[in-house]
Amino acid sequence: MKMLSKINKFFCSVKLAIFLFIAIAAFSMVGTFINQGDTTSQYRTIFGPEIYHILYWLGFLNIYGSWYFIGLTVLLIVNLVTASVNIFPHTLKAVFGPYPSFKEMMDKKSPKAAYEVVESKKNIEETKKVLNEKFGKPFSETETELYYSKNSIFRFSPYIAHLSIIIIIIGVILNVKYGFRSYTNIKVGEKTDVSYLTKNQKPVKLPFTIRLDNYQTKYYKDGIPKSYISKISIIKNHVSVAEKNIEVNHPFTYGGITIYQASYGHYRPTVAKLLIVNLKNRKLEKAVYAEFGKLYDAGINNIKFRFIPYKRPKRGEIPFFIELGNKRILKFNVLPYKNKSMPLIFAKYHDAVFLYTGVKSYYYSGVEITKNAYTSVIWLGSIILITALFFSFFFNHVETWVKLSGSKDGKKTSMEILSVPKKKFESFYKNFDKIIAKIKKDLG
Amino acid sequence: MISANVSALDGSLYFTISLFFVLASFAGYFIFLFTGNKTIPKVSFGILIAGFIIQTAAFVVRWIYAYKIGIDTPPLVDLYDSMVFFAYVIIFGFILIRIFYDFDALGFIITLVASLALAFASFSPLAPSAVEPTIPALQSYWLIYHIMTLFVSYGAFGASFGLGILYLIKSGRKNKTGGWFLNLLPPSNIIEEAIYKVIVFGLVFLTAGIVIGAAWADSAWGGYWSWDPKETWSLITWLTYILFIHARFTKGWGGKKMAWIAVIGFAVVIFCYLGVDLILPGLHSYATPGSTPIL
Ligand code: HEM
Repeated sequence: MKMLSKINKFFCSVKLAIFLFIAIAAFSMVGTFINQGDTTSQYRTIFGPEIYHILYWLGFLNIYGSWYFIGLTVLLIVNLVTASVNIFPHTLKAVFGPYPSFKEMMDKKSPKAAYEVVESKKNIEETKKVLNEKFGKPFSETETELYYSKNSIFRFSPYIAHLSIIIIIIGVILNVKYGFRSYTNIKVGEKTDVSYLTKNQKPVKLPFTIRLDNYQTKYYKDGIPKSYISKISIIKNHVSVAEKNIEVNHPFTYGGITIYQASYGHYRPTVAKLLIVNLKNRKLEKAVYAEFGKLYDAGINNIKFRFIPYKRPKRGEIPFFIELGNKRILKFNVLPYKNKSMPLIFAKYHDAVFLYTGVKSYYYSGVEITKNAYTSVIWLGSIILITALFFSFFFNHVETWVKLSGSKDGKKTSMEILSVPKKKFESFYKNFDKIIAKIKKDLG
Repeated sequence: MISANVSALDGSLYFTISLFFVLASFAGYFIFLFTGNKTIPKVSFGILIAGFIIQTAAFVVRWIYAYKIGIDTPPLVDLYDSMVFFAYVIIFGFILIRIFYDFDALGFIITLVASLALAFASFSPLAPSAVEPTIPALQSYWLIYHIMTLFVSYGAFGASFGLGILYLIKSGRKNKTGGWFLNLLPPSNIIEEAIYKVIVFGLVFLTAGIVIGAAWADSAWGGYWSWDPKETWSLITWLTYILFIHARFTKGWGGKKMAWIAVIGFAVVIFCYLGVDLILPGLHSYATPGSTPIL
């Protein structure tokens, strides 16, 4: 029994709460100085293998998921619940009674109490009337004693604040359990139904297929990006069921899953467009989308060729060449054409001219795909929290006891006024003095 | 250096002018501390209000300018804008406190902090004053609510810092006789109550600001919480002030310890506000797509 009450005392102490606030803050801090969630090889290059091992062992590389960070949070919740449950009966009594009597309260000698004796020139009944004007309706009343309580209902606000923290944490747990966060790149024109979890890069199968129809970056006049726009289609059973432009700040939610514009880029090009001209009749023979390194037929005199980029292009030189079927290398030449920004790039072999008109590069869009399950629980908890904080802070519970004793002739009354606030504010004492002054003026 | 022409158009000139008003006000409050002359803080307060009006006008000019050059969201995100807004909010907070409490002694700390912020904004090359288009991640009306609530809380914490310092000066000199300006300070218990009230006011707004930020992240970037440095530091700030309100229930934690938490709390706020952007990115130079900018 003694052991149990000791444990109980440990878990409801505010000192423990203070320790936990500091500990959680301190570990959170560590996580902002050491980058979280990088890959092992990145960590090894930053820290070197030894320090990497120490940090890994300490859990500093995934601190917010470490056993001790979660452990501290659990401890905080236990602390919060135990403390609340322990003092709750006390609060219930303060709000609903039975309220302590004047004498009990005097014997307590609360350091917060304000006390004053006032002589009234009126009888008890009339004196009570004036007191009620000043303190409001009494919560309990006997022949010679009055008890007033102001803002008592707000004594529950801290409990509601504590409860809201639990609601938020429940929301977070449900969200982690039933939701996911993932990321994937989609090439323009392609589709996918797989995305990769942010936390461990494992694939998740989506309940639908996403196709990226188009990607576009818009710019302000001075070249700063204004918006990144991906046009996506949602495909279910081979049928497109929804089409939408997504942008940063404007995601699209379908079937509980939200798709966010997160990043963009283009893959390294693998295809060049070549025009093949026959010099003999000056005719455009063919347009070829030449995949790098693959053998093609030029359509003139049975010429076969490959388009090959240099592995290490020299500066100022054209970074690709043509290799013919007979292993001969053709270099490209540049002919200034119309203006300098649009030169003609070509290679020539007998009657065949290869005109280079650019590479074909594929844009991709990086999208975050998230199932944000149960976030409404988190928002609900947050709203309750903010409201409860407000009512905790700005409504001070004040209890006032008045003991009346009438003189023998019943014409005069002596009052002992004792007032105790929940929070010891200077303004409470100022206000108390003001009320006493008023009472003296009205009854003295 | 930008030309006077542009700075008049985009409003930054008026912020620089307001800096001189705030500095003049600071000088007055400073002299007041040494002389105790009661008319000086009245003049200082008047000058401060004039500076505040100029700043208000400057904001209007700047927002209209931004709108005219085709930026839909008000300019609040740059280091420059957030610094001047910070100065604005803490001056506003002081004006409110000064109306309700007789707190002239607080003036010198508030005007000092505001002058530093304004001077940094006006003259530091780290904080160019040109109005830049908003990057896509920030084009959202969440931004305004998010920043406004957080700045109200920062302003309150700035004021509580000033009050904490006053409390510590006062309690540090309790045993010594005389003291030229001790008598000018309000009694310790009044400062103590003011520290609590200002902090809990800030805490309500800080909580709201964090929640709004989380809701924004949820609706824009793929999740309500990502543990990025800014978010994490806002949580640390929040924990510091939650600690403050609970420390009162701990036996033996008097006003002095509470005043210290108020002072330390503001250091955490400043780190969350500036340190994260100026120091942490240097430590690990990474930029996650969509990571939170200033704020
Ligand atoms: C983690 C988030 C927490 C929040 C948001 C929170 C919020 C609050 C608030 C707003 C109050 C009222 C303070 C005032 O009126 O000045 C309060 C009081 C209190 N809190 Fe917490 N609290 C938290 C954690 C804890 C923990 C872990 C404990 C564990 C001991 C605890 C124990 C108490 C106690 C004993 C009171 C006094 C209640 C009373 O006077 O009736 N709190 N809390």
